[in-house]
Amino acid sequence: MAKLEVRDLHVSVKDEESKSTKEILKGVNLTMQTGEIHAIMGPNGTGKSTLSETIMGKSGYHVTQGDILLDGQSILDMPVDERARRGLFLAMQYPAEVPGVTNAEFLRVAINARRDQDHQISVMDFLQKLDRNLSLLDMKESMTERYLNEGFSGGEKKRNEILQLLMIEPKIAILDEIDSGLDIDALKVVSKGVNSMRGKDFGALIITHYQRLLNYIVPDTVHVMMDGRIVKNGGPELAKKLEAEGYTGLRDELGLDIPLVDDDQ
Amino acid sequence: MNEQELKQISQAHNEPAALWDIRQKAFQLIAKTKLPTMQRFSYQDWPLTTENDLSWLPPKPSNIQPTQFTLLGQMVINHTFPEEWQAKGVRVMDMFQAWHDDPTTMTKYFAKVIKPSESKLTAFHYAYMNSGLIIKVPRNMELKAPLELNLIQDNRIDGGLNSHVLVIAGQNSSCSILQHWSSLGKQVNTLNSMVEVIAEPGSHVNFSALDEIGVSSTVTFNRRALIKRDAEVNWAVGMMNDCNTVGDIDAELVGDGSQAHSNMIGVTGHQQHVGINNRVTNRGKHTLGLINQRGVINDQSELIFNGIGQIIHGAHGSQADQQNRVLVMSEQARGDANPILLIDENDVEAGHAASVGPVDPHQMYYLMSRGIPRKLAEQMVIRGFLGPVLDNIPSANVRQHMINILERKLKNE
Repeated sequence: MAKLEVRDLHVSVKDEESKSTKEILKGVNLTMQTGEIHAIMGPNGTGKSTLSETIMGKSGYHVTQGDILLDGQSILDMPVDERARRGLFLAMQYPAEVPGVTNAEFLRVAINARRDQDHQISVMDFLQKLDRNLSLLDMKESMTERYLNEGFSGGEKKRNEILQLLMIEPKIAILDEIDSGLDIDALKVVSKGVNSMRGKDFGALIITHYQRLLNYIVPDTVHVMMDGRIVKNGGPELAKKLEAEGYTGLRDELGLDIPLVDDDQ
Repeated sequence: MNEQELKQISQAHNEPAALWDIRQKAFQLIAKTKLPTMQRFSYQDWPLTTENDLSWLPPKPSNIQPTQFTLLGQMVINHTFPEEWQAKGVRVMDMFQAWHDDPTTMTKYFAKVIKPSESKLTAFHYAYMNSGLIIKVPRNMELKAPLELNLIQDNRIDGGLNSHVLVIAGQNSSCSILQHWSSLGKQVNTLNSMVEVIAEPGSHVNFSALDEIGVSSTVTFNRRALIKRDAEVNWAVGMMNDCNTVGDIDAELVGDGSQAHSNMIGVTGHQQHVGINNRVTNRGKHTLGLINQRGVINDQSELIFNGIGQIIHGAHGSQADQQNRVLVMSEQARGDANPILLIDENDVEAGHAASVGPVDPHQMYYLMSRGIPRKLAEQMVIRGFLGPVLDNIPSANVRQHMINILERKLKNE
């Protein structure tokens, strides 16, 4: 069992052009554990991706207050790779392309990074696991011999993120807008992959704009984020309500004085 | 050493008059010529032309595992090739043996691609040349297996090495050559290594080089191909020396329809200084010259890549393209990648790309977010960075060997 706690998290980022610092997260509180699927919904520019990158440890996100704990231990001082080996995973919105490294080689290295020298995965076990997951995700075997994400379409990149999720089997996965740019068929396949991981040893935090994804991956808890804070928590019905009424409706209902990014467009 | 002494040594070595003639002229040129200048790289105070001596030193015993053609210092210690090659007229032999056996061929081809008068380094080389070999592939002959040259600088003894390799690829012939340079011992010596390739019309030469000379040498190399009508020469050079090195790779596209692909990988470490000119000159019509260089700079070292693409007036319909990319792995390292395009014709295509910078942080973040430790992630990114050039190296063994050296250098060993 694993538990992720975000406590009163404040995060600032520095704008490279203006050299000014801007506070993006203004006190986020969130607790989740394995066996649970959480969704964070919220309008554009509200800090959802900042939260996921900060949990993973990307540089440039400065925690000015609060803490992030994994199984009761603060991870703020841990490098990215150590957070990953302790069980965190982030399916990224914009995965990097790494030419010269094949997808298969990358997956094997990532799996073995979690194992000690004497217990590296055997080639046979690796290939069997790979085949199983490729067919689950309706991916061609040739994808594994291509260089990591190089020249992949948007949809292929998303599927590849889920393939990594299935191969690495993290304890807690954050899926950052895994639905963006996917057609309905691809969305179903990706959801099938995530659902296959559901169980007592796996938890996920799904970040999305739209309720649609949550029809396929039904969350236990939905959090709504606005202006750097979680403003409402609820069950799956909250997502449906948002779909019907929009974020503006919820904002006004809660009496919040928050400009939504799209207001001024 | 004066000219008279040099002459005596040449004569005592039974060198024909034609070779002495070249040596003598080169000797006289040393004082009149200058070191070549290199953009953004200074090496003028290196001891490249100080050991002015010509002597014939017997090799010390060693436990080297010789491959096909192995030269330890000045001596051929192994010479085994498929019998079939011999029967069909392929010649691979010691430079001085070749001058002795066939001075006509040697006079025709030797010192024609790289001339003694070009610089102090070339003059010095020809005056004091003390080691080398020639390769002659007869016309229409296709060598299926690669020809391996194992050249070893013997730094257990005191004395510089001026090594000359001459390749004559006959009309419509094809061959793959691998030149592997290494060194033994720790004496401070110079290495002046020259390769001349003459690619006769329609021939195809793949020339791979793997340089891994130890830290006590100072190296200058000059590898140049003269590429005639419809011929193709592909350079794939891995500069993995641990010592200061200044070098030129050159392709002269003289014949119409000729092609050159000039691939170079350089990896530097410690306090090493390395400057490389990679030059392709389009002279013939419809010629194609591609330069692709990748460098990885570690520790406090310096690596300068100049890509020089020149299209001469009259080279209609030619193409020149170059990529020069350098990864800087430490804050104390210094690197530069300079594309230099000199175009004197209108109906041509020329392009260039250059980059100098650290490992892409986005790639590093991505790999590390999957649990891969920083060092390993760096190796993967670098492997990918070198990939486009590594993929052009024909031998899988050489590729793997280069990756192993690279990883050793990254670990700062």
